[in-house]
Amino acid sequence: MNLRMTIDDLSMSQPATNSNSANARRYWRSLEELADTPEFKEWLQREFPRGASEMEADGHSRRNFLKLMSASFALAGIATLGAGCRKPEEHLEPHGQQPENYVYGEAQYFATAMPARTGAVPLVVKSSEGRPVKIEGNALFPGGNGGTDRYAQASILDLYDPDRARRFTHDHQEVSREEALKFLDELAHQFSASQGEGLAFLAESSTSPSRARLQKIIAQKFPKARWFTHDAIDSGIHQRAATQAFGRPVKPVFHFDKARVILSLDCDFLGSEDGVHEHIRKFAAGRKAEEGMNRLYAVESLFTLTGANADHRLRLPAGSVAQLGLALLAEIDKSQSADALGQLAGVDPKWITECANDLKAAGGLALVVAGQRQPTVVHWLAHAINDLLGAMGNAVTLLPWQINPAGADLRNLASAAKDTLVILGGNPAYHLNWPAKPKSGTVVRLGAGEDETSEKSDWNFPAAHYLESWGDALAFNGTLLAVQPLVQPLFNGLTELEFLARLAGETQTSPHEIVRATFDGTEEDWKKFLFNGFKAGSVPEAVEVKLNSAFPGGSGGETLSKDRLEVVFFRDAKVDDGRFANNGWLQELPDPITKMTWDNAVLISRRTASELGVQNGGMVEISLNGRGVKGPIWVQPGMADYSLGLALGYGREQAGRVGTGVGFNAGKLFSGKYIETGATLKKTGETQVLACTQHHWSMEGRPAVREFNLGEVTEAVEKNENVAEEKFHGIEPPVVRSLYPNPLDEAKKTALHQWGMTIDLSACVGCGTCIVACQSENNIPIVGKDQVLRGREMHWLRVDRYFTTDPKRKHNPSRFDPSADMNQTDERQQFQEWIDDVQAVNQPMLCQHCETAPCENVCPVAATVHDQEGLNVMAYNRCIGTRYCSNNCPYKVRRFNFLDYNKRPLTELKGTLYSTTLTHKTEGERDLFRWLKDPNSGMRTEDEWDLIKLSKNPDVTVRMRGVMEKCTYCTQRIEHAKIAQKAKAGASDNVRLTDAAGSVPQTACQQACPAGAIVFGDVSDEKSSVSRRKLSPLNYSVLGDLLTKPRTTYLARVRNPNPAMPDSLAPFSTEEYENGLLTKKGNS
Amino acid sequence: MIFPKWTNSVPLVLAAAAALAGAGVAAGVTIYFTPKYYRVGYQPVQPVPFSHQVHAGQLGLDCRYCHNGVEKSWFANLPGASTCMNCHNQVLKEDPRLQIVRDSATNNTPIPWVQVHKLPDYVFFNHSVHVTRGVSCAACHGRIDQMEEVRHDKSLSMSFCLDCHRDPAASLRPVDTVTKLDWQWSTNAVEAARLQALNGKKFVHDWKVESLQNCSACHR
Repeated sequence: MNLRMTIDDLSMSQPATNSNSANARRYWRSLEELADTPEFKEWLQREFPRGASEMEADGHSRRNFLKLMSASFALAGIATLGAGCRKPEEHLEPHGQQPENYVYGEAQYFATAMPARTGAVPLVVKSSEGRPVKIEGNALFPGGNGGTDRYAQASILDLYDPDRARRFTHDHQEVSREEALKFLDELAHQFSASQGEGLAFLAESSTSPSRARLQKIIAQKFPKARWFTHDAIDSGIHQRAATQAFGRPVKPVFHFDKARVILSLDCDFLGSEDGVHEHIRKFAAGRKAEEGMNRLYAVESLFTLTGANADHRLRLPAGSVAQLGLALLAEIDKSQSADALGQLAGVDPKWITECANDLKAAGGLALVVAGQRQPTVVHWLAHAINDLLGAMGNAVTLLPWQINPAGADLRNLASAAKDTLVILGGNPAYHLNWPAKPKSGTVVRLGAGEDETSEKSDWNFPAAHYLESWGDALAFNGTLLAVQPLVQPLFNGLTELEFLARLAGETQTSPHEIVRATFDGTEEDWKKFLFNGFKAGSVPEAVEVKLNSAFPGGSGGETLSKDRLEVVFFRDAKVDDGRFANNGWLQELPDPITKMTWDNAVLISRRTASELGVQNGGMVEISLNGRGVKGPIWVQPGMADYSLGLALGYGREQAGRVGTGVGFNAGKLFSGKYIETGATLKKTGETQVLACTQHHWSMEGRPAVREFNLGEVTEAVEKNENVAEEKFHGIEPPVVRSLYPNPLDEAKKTALHQWGMTIDLSACVGCGTCIVACQSENNIPIVGKDQVLRGREMHWLRVDRYFTTDPKRKHNPSRFDPSADMNQTDERQQFQEWIDDVQAVNQPMLCQHCETAPCENVCPVAATVHDQEGLNVMAYNRCIGTRYCSNNCPYKVRRFNFLDYNKRPLTELKGTLYSTTLTHKTEGERDLFRWLKDPNSGMRTEDEWDLIKLSKNPDVTVRMRGVMEKCTYCTQRIEHAKIAQKAKAGASDNVRLTDAAGSVPQTACQQACPAGAIVFGDVSDEKSSVSRRKLSPLNYSVLGDLLTKPRTTYLARVRNPNPAMPDSLAPFSTEEYENGLLTKKGNS
Repeated sequence: MIFPKWTNSVPLVLAAAAALAGAGVAAGVTIYFTPKYYRVGYQPVQPVPFSHQVHAGQLGLDCRYCHNGVEKSWFANLPGASTCMNCHNQVLKEDPRLQIVRDSATNNTPIPWVQVHKLPDYVFFNHSVHVTRGVSCAACHGRIDQMEEVRHDKSLSMSFCLDCHRDPAASLRPVDTVTKLDWQWSTNAVEAARLQALNGKKFVHDWKVESLQNCSACHR
């Protein structure tokens, strides 16, 4: 049984393009100097030691042969089996020339950054034996805490995507790299002669100073060439609107940590805006029950993460947000007219008045933000209110920003590109619905995938992944970041910089040299820049400007009805604008709000759905301005009425083996306006099954999530008395003395550590970054839609999302009545009135590492037991797959490998009868014969298998079919830290890991969490931060009344509603369990 | 009579035979299906006739000169040919037996050494934590300094690991003697055992050596 995979070498016959041959010094965090040395190339070409898994024909020595023969004489049949059991001969292949400062087996870490549209995410990437395996945030980055976002965590999988662009093509025929580069040279010659006549570029926006520099060079050399920028999701509006409002090129930076009162005008800054990891970190920093909490008001049509975390949420059609903003402005500045955009209907005037009062009271610490899907007028209103309240310079600052995002009118694209159209990145054929090749000259494309656009291009160049690229970028606050490669391009890809430099006919085409030339500083500065990943002190000085424009006017929301619906297009929480469509981790990540995987849907409110007579999964056809698209319905609690939410990025026709045909392409309706009115909806009569991972919206009367309003806990926080434990809720846990002594009590006396975790529910916004981080760290496979529908998703960590509502709106019979609201799944809940106005709560749920773990008692083979440090460990090799443990787990956090998810491609994970090795053929060969040759690869094709192996974390076992698995508290990280400490201690007793020394490891979820909600550490160390957090008055155990004594505890969620507001209520969820039968308080 | 009388004993004979065969199978599995049988003594022919006896024994090179990762990583590291050439560009410069090594150092092509000691993939053994804390190389690899060609000396089975993990005091040595394979507490066996027991206990206490027997120590 070969559980952990060995890594074969992957041949990378790539000439070193990232070189700096002038300097031979080695510097451990910069690959650049190493890149050109033979050692480095060797290191890249060979995974050392090569774990050749084939049995060699002459591999057995005479001695072994005799030994085997003697064995067979002794015990005929068995001995042959014994021979079969002998491990195959394997070779260890060391370097010919040992590279310096490289220790095989110890991971290396390199600072880099993931470029995004309007700012890059600073990262530190772990590299094991020359291949990147895990992405972390750069904790050194000023203000950063090492948190990232979902996309950054998952982006490493794209590096190993077998469907990446892997070849150079001309007229769909593969050509050599040399030939393709020669073509670029020819283009450069041609256009330097014609000054760029008939040449047009179509690129995505970028913050790279080097690209901006090359763009300028191109503008000088080819003055007649035209440059177009297009992003399907336009995040540049913040900057364009600010530039317009303030009369000079600026970019607003929002300080959610400083702001005390925040109003979001349809701005999903915690979910789908650019830079969420920064926003979440700052928002959580300003929201601590002990240190004063900020207050968040959200006005939105979709139910977003921001709305889920808001203290007051107003659901309003997206088109009416401008009117609401104006009403607020008029409330604050009485000289403004509130009706310039038409009458605002259906909003309690008190909501506006009190919200305005609260904003005014916060003064300079108020902050109003407008969403990227909202028109310029809403942005202007936000700036105007901020300006009036004195927030400029406090809660929001303006940075001078010269890089120009987007803007050119794409209608002129084809005429400008009479001769040649150069497409850099993106996927315009999909986003702009090109029916065929654009009516331009030759189309030359540098792209990451073989997708819809490459189909319509004449020349295709594979783009390098950012982990293979030299580059630079700006962070969201303007800091210069380094993008440095961790590995040579796996498929000979070109970086955008090299591509542009070659096209411009530059002599300097190495991206490393281009970035170095752009960088302003000495060699020492440069090395420091690469080591840190950012240039310290490169943040531009904020400018102080006053609002420099009058109310721009615009149009307010129109009257909506079931025959005149509003459509809101949004950036998907998983596939972004479609760029991550072939990323299995993101496709299978449950959407933070709908908890849907592998699909998008038409989000609709209950009332609208019932008026139109549609229900979950029913297919509908939406028509808007003569365009139409079909998709399944999803009734979303908390949606604004007559507003439809459509996620972009799905329905890709050519994404690859994961993403092709997933969901429907809402982009077919999209004309560039994110909010449009006038849509109609018609049932088609068909239905579609949607793979949702959480059908229960309620906690079924159990106090899994505990919540308070700030006012209720202020006193307790001051006195430091616990308010969250059972007692407070009237449940006295029964006093039970165990028949047997707890073995852990004995172990606690001698063990060096006792591990534990706390999760702060006030900080957690539910973004799901931890889920992807866990998946990446722990080699968790994806299972596909069909398996998710069977409840077989493998995530070790899930985020439970509950919807709660005002008890008065609920029909609440006994807990055991099937018609009780709490007992219903979305099948019936979608028709209940209470879901119109809901609160949402999020709770990360993972193995609780119970001290008295119910799973352990029922395992017949003792495959799951405790270790002396309090971890509930899983010994995969002992597991025989009875699944008793999973049955007995009250938290439902155990996951079972029903099939060999690592070896089966998605196509083999569907249906009622699964193909077997006897019947199935892969690459034209029966699987049985393939298995005899190599027992590992299963039904995966060879190219896919090679890449899958490269993507795995070598420190974690890859589990096979029939094995139970679950969260281990990242035991591999704990052991690594312990071993490192012991090796350092040597012949001394300094072996304990402590927070004070900074030697306690972080779990993957903790490290990835931008909010810092998860804290892990040694609970036997009184000074550790986890111990201190466990003393918090808000600390409680989930299902603590079962006496499982979980090591993972939660800090109750605290809301901060404004008592003056009309919708100021106690948290709805408390009612759900206080009304349950478990409590002694009885019905309220 | 259809069946002759002797058939009466057939069930008994069959049962006895089955019992014997069962016992034989059980005994066979116990004896032959363990690393103690099928790994110990494994001595493949290596591509280069490198003698540990000469290098580590006669010349007295420290193990860590070549296996330089052993104190830092889980893997002890195999030296690159460039390490060999530190001496062999002076010594045995023209020796044909070293042709592969010279080629390897010049062309940077690896030498395909045959792996002798291999643990299953689900075992995460770490060299650094053992050798820095007083477990000698010889404890698991035997007297490599006496081997002409490396041979699998100990079983390296799970029970072999556990023997020591249950009672670390029996094997711990002063840290500076870890790579001295011929080192012993005393030439007198009785005295050596006494000193081992005495000092082993002291080391366990002074260095806070844990007797790790939980699954997560080795399986992750």
